[in-house]
Amino acid sequence: MGDQEQFTEEELKLPSCKYEYLDHTADVQLHAWGNSLKEAFEQCGIAMFGYMTELHTVEIKQSSEIEATGHDLESLLFHFLDELLFLFSCEPFLICSKVTITDFNTEGEEMSLKCKCYGEEFTLGKHPQGTEVKAITYSAMQIVNDPETKKFEVFVIIDI
Amino acid sequence: MVVRQYQQELEYLEKISSYCWRIKKGFQPNMRVEGVFYVNQTLEKLMLDELRNACRPGMVGGFLPGVKQIANVAALPGIVGKSVGLPDVHSGYGFAIGNMAAFDVNDPESIVSPGGVGFDINCGVRLLRTNLYESDVLPVKEQLAQSLFDHIPVGVGSKGIIPMNARDLEEALEMGMDWSLREGYIWAEDKEHCEEYGRMLNADPAKVSMRAKKRGLPQVIFFSKKSFYCPFLFHGIKVYIYELDEIYDKWAACKMGIEEKGQICVMIHSGSRGFGHQVATDALVQMEKAMKRDNIETNDRQLACARISSVEGQDYLKSMAAAANFAWVNRSSMTFLSRQAFAKQFNMAPDDLDMHVIYDVSHNIAKVEEHLVDGKPKTLLVHRKGSTRAFPPHHPLIPVDYQLTGQPVLIGGTMGTCSYVLTGTEQGMFETFGSTCHGAGRALSRAKSRRNIDYTDVLQKLEYMGISIRVASPKLVMEEAPESYKNVTDVVNTCHAAGISKKCIKLRPIAVIKG
Repeated sequence: MGDQEQFTEEELKLPSCKYEYLDHTADVQLHAWGNSLKEAFEQCGIAMFGYMTELHTVEIKQSSEIEATGHDLESLLFHFLDELLFLFSCEPFLICSKVTITDFNTEGEEMSLKCKCYGEEFTLGKHPQGTEVKAITYSAMQIVNDPETKKFEVFVIIDI
Repeated sequence: MVVRQYQQELEYLEKISSYCWRIKKGFQPNMRVEGVFYVNQTLEKLMLDELRNACRPGMVGGFLPGVKQIANVAALPGIVGKSVGLPDVHSGYGFAIGNMAAFDVNDPESIVSPGGVGFDINCGVRLLRTNLYESDVLPVKEQLAQSLFDHIPVGVGSKGIIPMNARDLEEALEMGMDWSLREGYIWAEDKEHCEEYGRMLNADPAKVSMRAKKRGLPQVIFFSKKSFYCPFLFHGIKVYIYELDEIYDKWAACKMGIEEKGQICVMIHSGSRGFGHQVATDALVQMEKAMKRDNIETNDRQLACARISSVEGQDYLKSMAAAANFAWVNRSSMTFLSRQAFAKQFNMAPDDLDMHVIYDVSHNIAKVEEHLVDGKPKTLLVHRKGSTRAFPPHHPLIPVDYQLTGQPVLIGGTMGTCSYVLTGTEQGMFETFGSTCHGAGRALSRAKSRRNIDYTDVLQKLEYMGISIRVASPKLVMEEAPESYKNVTDVVNTCHAAGISKKCIKLRPIAVIKG
């Protein structure tokens, strides 16, 4: 790896688990929530990585930044997860135990986000092989974004 | 979505024979044609349960049941005939899995939908025969399973062993099995026994995004010189060793080189994996824009589609063909490795073991075909998702060897259950555009399987049944446990009884390798 990245305490702290896996006949549905829509998005990202391996085996050794855009909340979430999946699927083969959205713009037609992803390269032997996530889908995708009742939830089916 | 009670929903469904149900217009909005699905009594219950569950009040994050999805497909522009659900049908994304639909190529409104092909483009099954018998294999079964497992790298994050660089990938995408043949991985006659001869001619690697290529061939040239092997080629694959259990149609079996009970066969199940997924995802994004532009409305966002004649539609068909070629190269590489493993174990050349390809079928694909619609020949774009082509005897697109029997249709079972080989029929050509089921079809979700099934139980049960098993991860055992699937025998018997294909042989697994 050569130049090891340095991380602050804050960066190394893992968020609590606010997600679950729901049934779908062919695939699995991620259900994530949080105190804000941003948190629900982050949790959803972690939930996806959690399906690929046991997250407690993942150390934070490196990070990557991703960006995603969308013309509505659904497509923003779709592209966000697709970018995360892409991080894992090829160089740097990053498996993440923490993702932090640094920039979250959901106003207007052009939505966008920036996200810092913390983890390490997926290594056989160190990380148990979970299920390969093949793609993100729009199928039955639901986003609950209700600031009044403080309800922020997302439902995404991933193809495995 | 229309909200109705379960009883009200049932009014739109009509049982027209012991094996066939009709979905009337109005079940979902804007249906252009009717839907139909093939089930027997057992499968019918699963199908209706799925619908009943979806009708329960207060379902948050609810799923669309398979019947609803078949009806949504019937609402797509340009559809002809019916939207067909095959006996293994279950809820998917966009199209149900086990759903086929045909669109008139000459109708300018007609669409192509990546959701009708599925993510794992050209996921399919290949069957090899051998001249070995149970008695030859049983004493060395464990060694053979281990050897196959060692030869074929499996599981998440594993790296392949067929050397390939970026240029090879481009060529493989364009040439499909012609590439494998040129590189010396397969025999010339293998191609003869593949749909499309293992190569879709309209493939255009230039239409495939860099992103998809990177997923097909990570780490090579694009980024570093770390590795020259194509990683991730062998995800989610299954290799089975089977023993012939029963022959229903001796004559057709003979044509396939299958003679006696106890004969050993090898089945290879894989697709285009991450590569195909990226192609599908890219197309979905492009098509969302095209739908807005051309004012195409669908009932489900996952049913993103584009007119066949549009740039987006044509680009998708070309990149889908490239992904299909990728999948054939994938199955060919595994054929090569399986032959090697057998050759080493038995100290004989694969030739002498008679390890010929019986046939190779595609489960997730869209193809342009000629069909009779209301007595008139028409050029159709046939989407088959979780469905197998099953052409009848004398069809020009099936190889000489099977001209009299009809196309062999390979139906893979699950870890502990049997697999079948069927043949195509005239009735299937007429009723389902020459399509039939593709496998058992899920009954339990993967997540539910993980929770409810203990993997040691599954392993014990398989051991008791005399099946050797090698898996990349124990979790995979639970997900693919026989209990998670519909009974493949029910599925196959329904196809046979409904006449859409005909039973030929039944195979019993003796070893499974899964990644």
